[in-house]
Amino acid sequence: MQKPQRTILGRVSAYADEATGFLRRRRMTRKPFARVYHPGGRSAAFSSETAEGRRLFAAAADLIDAAG
Amino acid sequence: MARTRAPIPQAITTASQDARSSDTSYMFAEMAVDAEPDRSGASAQSAVARLGEMSPDLRGCAILAADGHALAASGDAERWGSAGSALLAAADAAGDEPVTHLHVATEDGEAFALRHEGLAVVAVADRFTLASLMFFDMRAVLRDLIREAA
Repeated sequence: MQKPQRTILGRVSAYADEATGFLRRRRMTRKPFARVYHPGGRSAAFSSETAEGRRLFAAAADLIDAAG
Repeated sequence: MARTRAPIPQAITTASQDARSSDTSYMFAEMAVDAEPDRSGASAQSAVARLGEMSPDLRGCAILAADGHALAASGDAERWGSAGSALLAAADAAGDEPVTHLHVATEDGEAFALRHEGLAVVAVADRFTLASLMFFDMRAVLRDLIREAA
């Protein structure tokens, strides 16, 4: 029979592996996006194919350049 | 030979307290008029520094006034002001009403902006920064700045 602390450590280790995998998959699949939020919790997302999205991405790129 | 002093007569303070409340009200009235929040200079600069300490993924940020000019920035204030106000203007134009906050994630980094009580903070962070934490920190810094200024 395994010692109780081994069981707990194994479980924590499994959760950590799951979290690492989730973050890795998230990084691989995440694409650029633009999301704006309005009063009352309403939000809207814009892709880079729309005119509004292009303007948002261009303005964000300029801001990122300012940060160096 | 022991030296003695004459006892110091105790002043009645009630009169002075009354005087303070009745004769100095104009001073407090002036203070109230001049209590326009000091949202410039040192306070905004310390807010920028505080946000940098709170958010390890932050590359830079700026505090913008309602008219869009930068009160303080981690770099070139003029450039941060124009770029930040352009981002907010683009977000406002994308919808039918002004935005409260926005998040744009690109390949090169992530841009955030948040408005609160006439001020705005714009920030740039590394990719994959957790947006909820960034907005929380930005909101906390702006609230502190407004509270200090009030």
